[in-house]
Amino acid sequence: MKVLSKTKLEAALNKLSESNEVFVPMQKKAQSGYYPWTSFVSGDEIMLEALNVYQSPKGAVLPQTEKMYQIKQGGMEIKIDKTFEDDHPTIIFGARGCDVKGILAMDEVFLTRGYEDSFYKARRSANTIIANACYEPGSNCFCNAMEVNAVDPAGADVILRDAGEAFVWEVKTEKGEAVTAIIADLLEEKEVQLPQSKPFNQKVDYSGVAEKLKTMFDHPLWDKLSASCINCGMCTFVCPSCYCFDIQVKMWGEEGYRFRAWDSCMFEEYSREAGGGNPRGASKERFRQRFLHKLEFFTERYGTPLCTGCGRCMIVCPTDVNIVRIIDAVKEAEVNA
Amino acid sequence: MKEITSKLQEIATRLFNEGKIDVFLAWEKGEQEFQTKSYIAHSVDDVKNIIFNEYSIYNVSNALLKLRDGHEKIGIAVKGCDSRGVVRLLEDLQITRDRLYIIGIPCPGLKDPLAAARSFGGLGKKESDQGLAKKCLECIQPNPVIYDELVGPEQTPRQQGDRFAQVREIEQMSADERYKFWEDTLSTCIRCYACRQVCVACDCRTCIFDEMKPQWVGRETNTTDNMMYHLVKHAHMAGRCIECGECERVCPVGIPLMLLNRKLIKDVGELFGGTEAGLQYTEGAKPALSVFKENDPDNFQ
Repeated sequence: MKVLSKTKLEAALNKLSESNEVFVPMQKKAQSGYYPWTSFVSGDEIMLEALNVYQSPKGAVLPQTEKMYQIKQGGMEIKIDKTFEDDHPTIIFGARGCDVKGILAMDEVFLTRGYEDSFYKARRSANTIIANACYEPGSNCFCNAMEVNAVDPAGADVILRDAGEAFVWEVKTEKGEAVTAIIADLLEEKEVQLPQSKPFNQKVDYSGVAEKLKTMFDHPLWDKLSASCINCGMCTFVCPSCYCFDIQVKMWGEEGYRFRAWDSCMFEEYSREAGGGNPRGASKERFRQRFLHKLEFFTERYGTPLCTGCGRCMIVCPTDVNIVRIIDAVKEAEVNA
Repeated sequence: MKEITSKLQEIATRLFNEGKIDVFLAWEKGEQEFQTKSYIAHSVDDVKNIIFNEYSIYNVSNALLKLRDGHEKIGIAVKGCDSRGVVRLLEDLQITRDRLYIIGIPCPGLKDPLAAARSFGGLGKKESDQGLAKKCLECIQPNPVIYDELVGPEQTPRQQGDRFAQVREIEQMSADERYKFWEDTLSTCIRCYACRQVCVACDCRTCIFDEMKPQWVGRETNTTDNMMYHLVKHAHMAGRCIECGECERVCPVGIPLMLLNRKLIKDVGELFGGTEAGLQYTEGAKPALSVFKENDPDNFQ
């Protein structure tokens, strides 16, 4: 099998970075997330051997802030000067299965059902995913329950398998072939021992949840579950699959640009209407929206849940909201027919 | 702490039975051993869920904001920092004193459940064993400043040395160095607004950052908008920050927000003197920068 020795990892990242922006899981001071390899400075650490990093790689295909087009106004006329569909080649290096699934979910949203988002399409077409197979689930992981194969993640162009001294380099697609060609001289043919998959610590049963939730919009359990939530947007911003955005404009006199920026269903402003009304004015309603979207609506529309089981929201939540317990609570809830 | 828990449960039961309260705010056990979250008990049946343990760090005074428009009589358990939050809400007329029955807990210093969750969850670097939370090591007021009943022995402040040492370091920098420092520090903000949501002093009904007409602060995550957000948010905290440290504790990207708050605490202290925010409740008293006087010696600028 093809392997990339860990001693050659940095060389490979350098090589790949000559023609691609390569996003690598890194620890930078107090932060961890996917950062461009070229931003690596002394003191930073590559986090391929850690379970995962805080910030998911979704920003590589859907940046938190993205310029869309430049506008010039002349009297009643508005002219679009320039659009910013960005198709520079990018590689996400070392994404875990849960995070790859997050991107596949966004593919559904932005590229299917009759409308293609040209900005997303440009980035995504030029993006290659080198996944990092996951053999040892962490304490909060439950991707197995959310239709993710941690060892053989769907959507990966190349799969890395950590075999101690080296990564097995398994090419899956044509895009994968193309990036492999760049570093071909750094790869070796070698037989190595693959790690054994360890069992999941979280036991989650999602079966029937989407269906059952259809009858639970007004269920009293939402009051109880949402009681501690303070409606910050942390869970949505660290989530590998939350893709909601807002489009806004910045003008200076007659010139300006339109951009989009991540938005969060947790914010009051998100669902505020032009007239000032808000269908989700209360904290509970916004909370319910988030979990119904993750566990019911997305499954109804696309046939797979929007939660990928990465467990990040359970780690960062300052008020201990726990999506696994929400799934359990839905399973156990009594529903009056 | 077990004693405090049973004492709290005992008091809450008594208050419910005597009809003195409709709800009781405290903490309940979370998912993991190290997780404890804010809790609203609604009846005597809920009392068994009330807990005070080494992770009851969440500032429960923040939960009063959820009840500010109601008429419920509220029992609330507060540590030193939480009690300062209660004072702030009273000063801002967000809640009335006669709705509250306050149980004070002199706080021995607690651990941070979020730091424990990070270590447990395996994201990023493993963190070393958790001692007391940073905010607890920097605590100047472990004893509640307002209460109807006190539970447990008095504690001594844990803050050691110069509380403003780091602020002074930054003040010493040249303007360019300082700008660079804040530019780097704030560039990582993801604008999740957790620092605002968890803040008891942020009690505005409509937040400036949520306003659209006009939109005071842009929504882009870039240096300009991030700085605008933090500087405006923290400037609003001048004379109001009760130093509970929750904003810094919950920040998912580790921004040292208390540096900004301490700078303002220091400045307000030097410029106006007087008691620091929330340290003492006097009915009708207003914190610095909350009063307008026509004969103010300074011009309105």
